[in-house]
Amino acid sequence: MRLFDNLHIDFMGKRTTFYILSSALLLLGLLAIIFKGVQFGIDFKGGSEIALQFEKPVEIEKVRNEVDKLGLGNVEVKTFGDATGVLLRTELQELPKNVLLKVRTNIESVMTNVYPGVAMTITDSSTSSLTYTFSDPQTASVINNRLNEAGYQSEKVSEEETNTSISVRLGIADLIKEDLSEKYADNPFVVQKEDRVGPKVGKELKRDALLAIMLSLIVILVYLGFRFKFTFALGAVLALFHDVLITVGVFVVLYGVIPGFNLEISVSVVAAFLTLIGYSINDTVIVFDRVREQIKIHKTLPLEENMNLAINRTMSRTIITVFTTLLSIIILLIFGGEVLRGFAFALFIGMITGTYSSVFVASSFVLEYAKRAGSKVQF
Amino acid sequence: MKELRFRIIMIAGAIALSLYLLYPTYQDSRNEKEVVAKLSTYETKIKKSNPAISAIELKEKITSIKDSILVNTPEYKSAREKRMKLGLDLQGGMYLVMEVNTAKLLEKLAKDPDDQFRQILIKAEADSKMTDENVVTIFARYLKAQNIRMSRYFGSIREEDDDIARKLEQQETDAVTRAIEIISNRVNQYGVSEPSIQKQGSRRIIVELPGIARQEEAKRLLQGQALLEFKMVKEPDFAIGIMNKIDEALAGLNKFDSSAVKSVAAKTDTAAKDEKLTAEQFAKEHPFFNLARLIDAQGRVADAFVKESDRDQISAMLQTPEVKNVMPDNVEFAYDAKPEIGDDGVKYYRMYMVNKEAELTGGVIVDAQANIDPNTSAPEVTMQMNNEGAREWARITGANVQKRCAVILDGQVYTAPTIEGKIPSGSSRITGSANMEEAKLLEIVLKAGALPAPIETLEQRTIGPSLGQDSVNKGLMSTIFGYLAIAVFMIFYYKKSGSFSAFSLMVTILLLVGVLAGFGATLTLPGIAGIILTMGMAVDANIIIFERIREEMVTGKTIKAAIDSGFKLSFSAIFDSNITTFFTGLILYQFGSGPIQGFALTLMIGLVTSLFAQLVLVRLIFDFMITKGFKINVG
Repeated sequence: MRLFDNLHIDFMGKRTTFYILSSALLLLGLLAIIFKGVQFGIDFKGGSEIALQFEKPVEIEKVRNEVDKLGLGNVEVKTFGDATGVLLRTELQELPKNVLLKVRTNIESVMTNVYPGVAMTITDSSTSSLTYTFSDPQTASVINNRLNEAGYQSEKVSEEETNTSISVRLGIADLIKEDLSEKYADNPFVVQKEDRVGPKVGKELKRDALLAIMLSLIVILVYLGFRFKFTFALGAVLALFHDVLITVGVFVVLYGVIPGFNLEISVSVVAAFLTLIGYSINDTVIVFDRVREQIKIHKTLPLEENMNLAINRTMSRTIITVFTTLLSIIILLIFGGEVLRGFAFALFIGMITGTYSSVFVASSFVLEYAKRAGSKVQF
Repeated sequence: MKELRFRIIMIAGAIALSLYLLYPTYQDSRNEKEVVAKLSTYETKIKKSNPAISAIELKEKITSIKDSILVNTPEYKSAREKRMKLGLDLQGGMYLVMEVNTAKLLEKLAKDPDDQFRQILIKAEADSKMTDENVVTIFARYLKAQNIRMSRYFGSIREEDDDIARKLEQQETDAVTRAIEIISNRVNQYGVSEPSIQKQGSRRIIVELPGIARQEEAKRLLQGQALLEFKMVKEPDFAIGIMNKIDEALAGLNKFDSSAVKSVAAKTDTAAKDEKLTAEQFAKEHPFFNLARLIDAQGRVADAFVKESDRDQISAMLQTPEVKNVMPDNVEFAYDAKPEIGDDGVKYYRMYMVNKEAELTGGVIVDAQANIDPNTSAPEVTMQMNNEGAREWARITGANVQKRCAVILDGQVYTAPTIEGKIPSGSSRITGSANMEEAKLLEIVLKAGALPAPIETLEQRTIGPSLGQDSVNKGLMSTIFGYLAIAVFMIFYYKKSGSFSAFSLMVTILLLVGVLAGFGATLTLPGIAGIILTMGMAVDANIIIFERIREEMVTGKTIKAAIDSGFKLSFSAIFDSNITTFFTGLILYQFGSGPIQGFALTLMIGLVTSLFAQLVLVRLIFDFMITKGFKINVG
């Protein structure tokens, strides 16, 4: 069976169409990035993310309302997987001051229920816990147990018998879990996944990600500079830039449009970009390799014709190789599960634009450069 | 034919090796099915006794019990240990990045912190969050700007600011080491399988607790100050007497001897007789001593060695009412923190009998230092106590000369040296460390009880076991579907050659997974995605070759010549495309953590094995077919 045999399309002649198409996509993407903004996951922004698995299906709206009442500000609530899974995400690292006050009052009221008028001092307070000290170990122990029964996360500071202090955790996740387990007593849930990323780590990751992408582009530039001449390398790398930008654009445009489709930029999405960079260059190499061969054989033909010949001859190979890789990615997209969805989608979009750009954009660039420069382009 | 044979053997060898390396993983999954079947009856029991339990809680419970069985029972243990290592996202577990809270450390170390101190500290802390500079450096700068000497709060007047700053930074690094030791200690006690606790940079700790994500307990591991205690080790006569009673109680007998000395004498006689008993009889008649082997048969030292796998049984034994009857209220058993590795590779923990009540707790220690004794050239640890501690210590050491005192951190013994004489000054020397490393460890332990190592969690990720299992299932399904989709397409488009390609694809994946297992690499969910991606990319090489062969055939070459030139001419394109993907894989490996590294790894290894399979194996099949005169077509 053969497809694309004996193709004779004047691709290079139609390159203005490609310019228009690419520019349109890039512009769209850029506008989306400026106006809608890139949505980063907590990997980069920092924050907390909890995935809960309920026994019975829940209404997301109801959960959202419940959580809103907690006063934590903007908490994203979405479905995770199917109707029994809920994903909660917030940028906060710690409880906001007014909520903190409320929680503290609640905790202290539990204590005074046990021992009215009990003497307590707050000996330590951090962003995620409060430490109370009492007058004797017995009081501390009893209050510790009572708090745990009430659903708070409370621990003795030390196991010594003379210990009079307890530490109560005040995490956002803890608060949410506490509240929901109260309100959904008839529909118990389990925490499937809980992530908490501090702002420092998020910042560092952003920096590392950018570095990694830059580094890959440079490495490829250098490598291609060796295998082919510099013009080609530049054209190829520009095509890569174009791919990543368009893919990010698609992510931004589609964010929130498809329910349940998690399209934020997370670490795995960046990994997908890096993979793309390494993979998409393949098509470019295949085409340029052929162009080089063509030029050797048909020295007298103009560059434009050689390029056309090369592209037409390799079209079969290009399409089929990308097709098989896309097959595997589509399988991943459909069956791979929630966690990998963003990653698979990035690869999917990226590979399509990657092929398009390697074949058309990269060669067009080289052609334009050759035409402007006038000189015989060396390979 | 000869060169064909060589290649056939090489490939067959590679396949066989991969299968061998993967066998434990297969075994483990079979064991798992077995255990799940066995647990179904247990499951109904739980439901009956606790009807209020939710389906989800039950599932989580069963999963953790299943994991625990597979890790601990001897017959399943080896398969579980040798199986392919799964990342946290597939096993479930906890991942934490922790950092020393330098500001808090400075506050605790300061001599006389006043409000001014605290204000400057808060500013320095806020600054460091923005600029990523060390808090100590920023703090020192602020002090200098306000013309306050560092020695106002730290160190002594004679010291220069720079020296003090350097010492503080050293304290910071020490705090990290202490924290790591404390956490390792506690993690080991909880019996997490394959925990990983590593230092990152100068101030960070990465902790991975795979397997059963007992969230609440795991969180407790990282909270709270370490408890350092000094407890007296019971005298050998007394200890062995009690151990004998325990032994007898367990053996079903209840002989109560009136004097401890008599029983020791009696036992030393029977000890001689015992040697003539077989191992089985010994186990029956001396159940306790069978698991807790006395170090010294003569009973001069009452310590015993217990195998790691027997520790649970000993605990169970000590819980039985018969044993509880014979054990006095004021003593208990304690284990060494670090085991000794026997000749058979088994870990043995030394067990001591100590007073339950501690003579002294770590709060009284002011400083500890490991160094070499100038007289004996042996490693030793010097320990300083505060005034209150020194007084108590003088009393304790005076009253217990020639007895042993165990240094216990968070319930585990680090050393149990003999008290040589009364120590009046609160400054003691502890000898007996085997080497400088042990001495250093003891120094850390002594300081840990006294000085805080305030750490804060920068990043925390917890994956429940059921999500992990779910991911494994999805990953497996995707891989199988992916393979089928690609194989079907190849056969459809390239006919016979396509089937060669499909076969070599299977070999590619087999070798890839075999290499992962062989190197003990960790498989993560992105790693599985990498395998699927590798499948898609692996056939690329074949497609390039096949298309080229088609072209060559069109120009009229014979099939053999077309195949030859097809392979030859495509090589450069194949090499180029794979190299660039390999480079980005390398960069990904450097940049990513955990799961992403798993992806980069499978991608890179996949590239190599796919090149091998597509170039060598498919070529081999072609050559074989030609030699045997079979017809080949390329679609």
